[in-house]
Amino acid sequence: MNLERLPNEEKLTLCRKYYLGGFALLPFLWLVNVVWFFKEAFLKPPFTEQTQIKTYVKRSALGLLFWVTVLTTWITIYQHFRAQWGEVGDYLSFTIPLGTP
Amino acid sequence: MDLLSNKWIVYLALCLFVAGINCNSVENKIYVKLNYTVPCVRLLNSTHQIGCQSSLSGDVGVLHVLESEENLDFVLRNGRNPPYMVIMESSLFTRSVMMKLKNGSSRVAGVAVVEPTSNPPDGFSPHTRCPNENTGVYSENYGPGLAHCNTTKWNPLGNGLSYEEFDFPIFSMKDDNDTQLIRQCYMDHNRPMNGSDPQYPLCAMQLSSHMSAVTSTPTCMRRNSISFSMSNDMVCDPLSDQNIWAPSKPLNTTQNGHKANESVIIVSARLDSRSFFSEIGPGAESAASGLITLLAAAHALRNATQDAQLDRTIFYTFFHGETFDYIGSSKMVYDMEKNQFPIDLDNVHSVLEIGQVGLHSSSNLWLHTDPVSMRNSSIQEEVKNLIANLKSAAAGLNVSVTEPGVTQPLPPSSFQRFLRARPFPGVVIEDYNSSFSNKYFQSMFDNADSLNVLYPPNLTPEEQLNHVTNTAKSLAEVATTVARALFIQAGGEKTQISSIKADELMVSRMLYSFLISSNNSWTQEIVGLKDVVHLNNNTVNFYISVEQQASLPTILVKYLLANLTGTAVNVTQENCKNQKESEDDKESKHLYNYFWVPGAAPPNSTERDGFCVRSTVHWSRAISPAFLMENYTTSEYSTWTESRWKEIKGRIFLVASHDLEMLTLGVGIGVLLSSLLLTYIMSSKADILFSSGREPTSATY
Repeated sequence: MNLERLPNEEKLTLCRKYYLGGFALLPFLWLVNVVWFFKEAFLKPPFTEQTQIKTYVKRSALGLLFWVTVLTTWITIYQHFRAQWGEVGDYLSFTIPLGTP
Repeated sequence: MDLLSNKWIVYLALCLFVAGINCNSVENKIYVKLNYTVPCVRLLNSTHQIGCQSSLSGDVGVLHVLESEENLDFVLRNGRNPPYMVIMESSLFTRSVMMKLKNGSSRVAGVAVVEPTSNPPDGFSPHTRCPNENTGVYSENYGPGLAHCNTTKWNPLGNGLSYEEFDFPIFSMKDDNDTQLIRQCYMDHNRPMNGSDPQYPLCAMQLSSHMSAVTSTPTCMRRNSISFSMSNDMVCDPLSDQNIWAPSKPLNTTQNGHKANESVIIVSARLDSRSFFSEIGPGAESAASGLITLLAAAHALRNATQDAQLDRTIFYTFFHGETFDYIGSSKMVYDMEKNQFPIDLDNVHSVLEIGQVGLHSSSNLWLHTDPVSMRNSSIQEEVKNLIANLKSAAAGLNVSVTEPGVTQPLPPSSFQRFLRARPFPGVVIEDYNSSFSNKYFQSMFDNADSLNVLYPPNLTPEEQLNHVTNTAKSLAEVATTVARALFIQAGGEKTQISSIKADELMVSRMLYSFLISSNNSWTQEIVGLKDVVHLNNNTVNFYISVEQQASLPTILVKYLLANLTGTAVNVTQENCKNQKESEDDKESKHLYNYFWVPGAAPPNSTERDGFCVRSTVHWSRAISPAFLMENYTTSEYSTWTESRWKEIKGRIFLVASHDLEMLTLGVGIGVLLSSLLLTYIMSSKADILFSSGREPTSATY
């Protein structure tokens, strides 16, 4: 879909949909929202719906940041301590590389 | 136009075809695959992992032929091109060299040991000095002064290498063409010339033996059972095989638990051995000497036990996996305690165990007993009785029997597992007093040579099979002693024992079958058709391995015991296979086992005359009870497992210097980037580049 050809009202609806969809534990929707609407929100000359789009993009970015922090922390902890956790570590794992503790 | 393009397609296809063939030959030109690769594999117990492993794709190192221990400096410090793949003669395969390599393992990619053609004269044992230290009977609660080999180290030559963990692959290689090629490659490329480092390209070797299991048995058994994993790969398997046993008179084996009015003398031998490398476990003295003696004794007793009505039943038993913390015997005792065996511990009158009885240049047998249980006067009386029987049996024979000092504990033996359950009278027969006379205990040198099974030169295999060696003679004497003692112990008349005599020819044939080649004219006659395929022309490997593989020692002992103690019966092949003597016979299978064996071919025919052998031979699983209880952290039972692996291979090739490799990679990346750039420029300037001569017309193709 090309945003250029979309009327401003529809842009806003789309942006809101992506923003709300992100709350269903789908941080990638927020990522898409941020990337896709960044130009519309901050670079384009002002239009009526722009302030709202701006809010949604900002909030999406915030949510995305939250997810990135949480996931990075968890993955670091998991990779570092999996072997030490032993039994718990094994049960938390989906695949265990062969021949590693 | 059409024709032309067709032609091009044909050319292109042809080119690709030729290129495909060339690809293969390029690989063959780069790599030389090694044919004979015997790795050291990873084993795990409740707390540790032992053995060796490579990285997932195999470890690569520059070849270095180690000439002496001093030469290690080159590998561990001075050499400019680490990591090194160390090739050594087995005389350098010692604890000190291997531990230095282990500690400097960042500069060591792997080790290949060349098997020698003769045994080291000073002895070599990669096993520990105190075998099965923690799973025998002696502990803080039972003869604390005798625990942990406090009074005597049974295996003084043991260097414990088999129980070390190495994080690089270690392979064994035969001294053959491959080894010659490796040496040649080393001489041509890697040898330092007048003090200066050799120039690239250098000769390198890659060894792959990546092991799936890691850490310990609890870990790998847990990972075996995790089922939601994507790749449901098993990573390890318990060491297990079969115990084989045969009572001297038929017992109903389908009813388990206590048998009324049954008194049993268990006479046992061990069925396994090991060495540092998993596929080499000759165990000539540590396993074969004892089990051949027991088989010969059972054979000698066949007629005597059938003719005379004896008070007690003799129970010929072969325990598997004794090397790994008494797997077989602990399972049988466990079964007897749980009433899952045709007899229980109350039925056991006494135990006689035949250990290592190779009799190296002596004719002295030692009767080992347990000083702790002998404090009980009734046990002591029974033990004295058994010893007296053995002594009277040895009278007039070419062996003498002696008792070691009274304060000495039992050597490592299956009998210890019975004593863990309760006190039993019992004797362990060995050819040593306080430490093994076997200099090669559970090493790859514990072979026919070490047992002195030597044949005169120029004998054909058939002549060797039937040649009675001195070792066979002395083993037959031991077997006669054991058989006669058992006969008296079972309540037979002393006057009849002179007729009991082990057959020297049988012993010779068994020695040949276990130590030289299991595929010979004799075994082909007595091993059942479905198992004949397992026979081969090599020394039998006594390593227990995992359950999936049929193990040759088990197969051989099963059929030998059946043929030597059983009788040929006139039963059709069909009925024989269905375990019955006639069409409506439903009882025999509870008492006997029936094997259809190929038999010998009559002189003027190639068709063998098969027949049915009826015997009391039975077998039961030899797996540590820890795996039945799913308690992998127990210290009471064996917890040994063997890791699985995907691929074992070795190959040699020439490597270029690191700089040249990087340069090639750099040029490659450069070409890629410049071509991308060029394409970009060309496509962006396409209208200028391609419209010069021609009018921009609307396309009319």
